[in-house]
Amino acid sequence: MTRTPLPKAPNRLDAIAGNRPFDEQVLGMIVGLASEVTVLRARLDACERLLVAGGSLLPGAVDGYEPDAPAQAERETLRRSTMEKVFRPLREAAEAELHATTEQEQSQ
Amino acid sequence: MTGITEQRAALDHPMIAVPNHDELVEQLFVRDFKVFVHGELEPIQADIAKQEEQSLPPEAANSKVGALRERMEGHESFRTWLAMKRESQRQLWSTIGTSVERQADELEKLARIDNPRGSVRTDPDFAVPQYIKDGDIHLMPGGNAHDDGSIMQGAVMDRGGAVFMLGRNGGMLNDLRGQTAMAHALTRWPDMAPAKILDLGCGIGTSTVPAATCFPEAEVHGVDVGASILRYAHARAEHLGAAVHFSQQSAEHTDFPDQSFDLVYSCVLFHEASQAAVMNILAECKRLLRPGGKVVHLEVPLLHDNSDPWVELSGELEAQYNNEPNWRGALTADYSGLLAAAGFEDVMIGYQATSPAARQGPFRFGPESEGVYRSWFVASGIA
Repeated sequence: MTRTPLPKAPNRLDAIAGNRPFDEQVLGMIVGLASEVTVLRARLDACERLLVAGGSLLPGAVDGYEPDAPAQAERETLRRSTMEKVFRPLREAAEAELHATTEQEQSQ
Repeated sequence: MTGITEQRAALDHPMIAVPNHDELVEQLFVRDFKVFVHGELEPIQADIAKQEEQSLPPEAANSKVGALRERMEGHESFRTWLAMKRESQRQLWSTIGTSVERQADELEKLARIDNPRGSVRTDPDFAVPQYIKDGDIHLMPGGNAHDDGSIMQGAVMDRGGAVFMLGRNGGMLNDLRGQTAMAHALTRWPDMAPAKILDLGCGIGTSTVPAATCFPEAEVHGVDVGASILRYAHARAEHLGAAVHFSQQSAEHTDFPDQSFDLVYSCVLFHEASQAAVMNILAECKRLLRPGGKVVHLEVPLLHDNSDPWVELSGELEAQYNNEPNWRGALTADYSGLLAAAGFEDVMIGYQATSPAARQGPFRFGPESEGVYRSWFVASGIA
């Protein structure tokens, strides 16, 4: 059965004087991300507790976990790619400024 | 921590949309985020406002609130606080909406009641009042009058209301206002035994079911503007064992005969209406009550200190950014005068101590607020 989806946006959202719409978009995204991270962490916590309760995991096993060399290397790669993905805009903006500054210097 | 906890089953009632693990954490996140924005960010803005107020030029005396608003809007943290306050509300409806949609089929099944004790009457030609159309109250997408033929908007409103109140208003029953209105009636008129009761602006019936519980012999009615929320209210009341007759009508002009009720009441209706509507509603109460019948209107605490520009500005912002159409109007009104002008006698205004169950009291009514959620403003009188 197809159902009419519930409306997602309320009627009447007055502008906040002095705020750029983009500022509010960014704040909204951050709140959304914080919510997602909170849910993820709670879910992970639930998994750990259920595994401990079911005997699959010893209490404190995650905190005591020491990855071996290959695992460490994979985890390094994961962390770096996350960092790169999230902070790409900052690097790109800095590089663009560097490029512009260099060109300006050279033309003088 | 009081209020909403992670013990899902303990706080349910039969019709409420029950969140799964992730949805519940999302809802708790919204609650915590609201507590942060209100409890940690807002007091700093109040302090900034105090500083700004002191340096307002003398010529600003005539429009202090406007002048203060202009100053505050120059502060980035003020604008961010306001944006975050609104975002918390949008996140609330977003998470509730998703959770309700996931369990739509089960809720619809639950809402099919065989041999109901009460009833629901919707009106396809109902004219939605302008103040409802102007903006979705509390930013609930679609608004109170939204109707897609289902009970979904009601399910959203029920769960959303409970989370919005941070669980402090009777948990998932969200019924302390209705209980308190009935406790007020019993405080003033301990032996009252109304045969017919009407709840104006009943929403999903959180305030209506307490009347049916408190006065089981009475015929209880509730009116509101939204067909979806009323269908849900009907199912909810039936599951809670209450016989209530819901109908889609404006509290300003109902189709009930003159002098047909013994008790007419409302809970936090006035600040969601308009000043003109409040006058019409009071006149309608007078028309509907038999001579000697009782009227009880419950509201959030009034804005006593209108000399504090920050308190005034906060009200203005609440009205504008959380779509509370008559916030300042309703909270600064002279209810003694309004009720007297509408023809009521023995009018009293004051604060009724919050009651978890009307018959158990506390039967305490006095001129001073005992604090938000600990007491409610009430204006009452006799027709």
